[in-house]
Amino acid sequence: MGRSPLWLRIIVLLYVGVLVGVPLVFVFQQSFAHGASALWTALHDSSMGNAIDLTMRVVLLALPVNTVVGVGAALWIVRHPSWLSRVVDRLIDVPLAISPIIIGLMLELAYAQNGWLGRPLAALGLRIIFSYPGIVLACIFVSLPLVTRQLIPLLREIGSNQELTAASLGAGPVRIFLTITMRSIMWATAYGVTLTLARILGEYGAVLIVSGNITDLTQTLTLNIGANFENYNAYQGFVGAGVLALTSVIILLVLGVARHRERKRHEHLA
Amino acid sequence: MTAHSFPPTDGPLQPPRKGWLLWPFHTLSRRMGQGVAVTFYSLVVLIPLAALFSNAFNDGWGFFWKAATAKEALSAYKLTIICSLIAAGVNAVMGLGTGWVLARDSFKGKAILNALIDLPFALPTVVAGVTFYTLYGPKSPVHLTLTGTWTGITVAIVFVTLPFTVRSVQPVIETMTFNAEAAAATLGASPWRVFRTITLPTLLPAIVTGAGLAFARAMGEYGSVVFISNNLPFRTEVASSYIYSLAAAGDPVGAAATAVTMLLVALAVLVAVSVASRRLVKGH
Repeated sequence: MGRSPLWLRIIVLLYVGVLVGVPLVFVFQQSFAHGASALWTALHDSSMGNAIDLTMRVVLLALPVNTVVGVGAALWIVRHPSWLSRVVDRLIDVPLAISPIIIGLMLELAYAQNGWLGRPLAALGLRIIFSYPGIVLACIFVSLPLVTRQLIPLLREIGSNQELTAASLGAGPVRIFLTITMRSIMWATAYGVTLTLARILGEYGAVLIVSGNITDLTQTLTLNIGANFENYNAYQGFVGAGVLALTSVIILLVLGVARHRERKRHEHLA
Repeated sequence: MTAHSFPPTDGPLQPPRKGWLLWPFHTLSRRMGQGVAVTFYSLVVLIPLAALFSNAFNDGWGFFWKAATAKEALSAYKLTIICSLIAAGVNAVMGLGTGWVLARDSFKGKAILNALIDLPFALPTVVAGVTFYTLYGPKSPVHLTLTGTWTGITVAIVFVTLPFTVRSVQPVIETMTFNAEAAAATLGASPWRVFRTITLPTLLPAIVTGAGLAFARAMGEYGSVVFISNNLPFRTEVASSYIYSLAAAGDPVGAAATAVTMLLVALAVLVAVSVASRRLVKGH
């Protein structure tokens, strides 16, 4: 008992190959469909350049915020249980279950210039919706739990004996956090941060509503791909899609390394 | 082990205070951390959620009900729920098979198969959307046109939700011992009967959890579906696309009412799944 029959292996390989492998190869094939010089021109498209620029700036703000919040929230939930942290623990996955379109709508209703928070902010001269802060907010929302849910089971499992030992030997809290806590959750954090990056880079529905999709101003790379495709400029769209597909393959490799390292650390301890 | 038993009390070391562990949440910084966390969570999640509900009921119950049960809304719910159910079912069966092969077999290229499973999580939905539209569109290179059909929508959803069941089933299969199966086989049970009566019940909680998560995700899918669906109102318009069209047409109350309805359905599914999988674990 145990090994699967050959027919099952063939079916699974065909299924995953047709469903996932073929589309992946097809994206790259479409990007190269008109030759190298056309690809070179398309890569230097100014609107796509601006979209990549904006996407990078969004990542640079949203990713660190969600990393710090994610690690902090996991430590808080595991190490300092209270009724409040238990409520947060229960609700942690909620942002993942809400449609991105609904997330975008929620943010627009709250932060538009006539919304609850939008009105006082507009009085201060801050524009959230149809602008950079709104896009960052949407990306933070959609990827909020990804770091925390990697860390909670791990922190529960490793317990706090090592930290107690270090504290008894006179190590300060900062030193304990950096040399012990962070060391043992490093690869799990890397895994969560990479998932967060993938989610931010790929966000479409929420950003579509919140950004207003203004070319060269509030258009992220995913929106740029969609817009090119809808405007009968499919090739340009596929070049952008190829860039993102290449990025996601790299992300998969990083995820594989992080998972491998985490498993090794686990075996080492056991 | 509790903090009191460590370190040994006969040594020169002082027992550590538990507060050290709570960094950065001890004493003053703990209070501050909690305050920052609550403010952050409120600004990002809670206030927007409240704004959604407030807008949905802005013009009273009558308007909410009218918007939530508009004809176009009802056909969008129906399409979304049916396609999501089919996709979750396909993924339950194929996810079980894929998880089994990944957990029990070793062959050349298994690492690639394992990595491909996670691709739908890493690949932006809009990339999947334009790819499926071109691959199975009017100018399909494989001569298979699925645009504007429920089949096309379901294929896109199956792709996006592929990892859920595989990743919930695979670790359970990896740690399974097959003693009961072996015993049943020696007593003359056929492989199919062993699978149906022993293996499947063990795996059922994991399958239900994975399929439930896939269903919840499928209900809200937009980027991967919107291109291949052609977005025909009453026929191939999924719920999130309908909500978007309302919001874009300047009807925030209608959009919010429909969104609240979809949220409640998704929430109900998540609760049902967690209750069901807990019952299945207990019953086993």
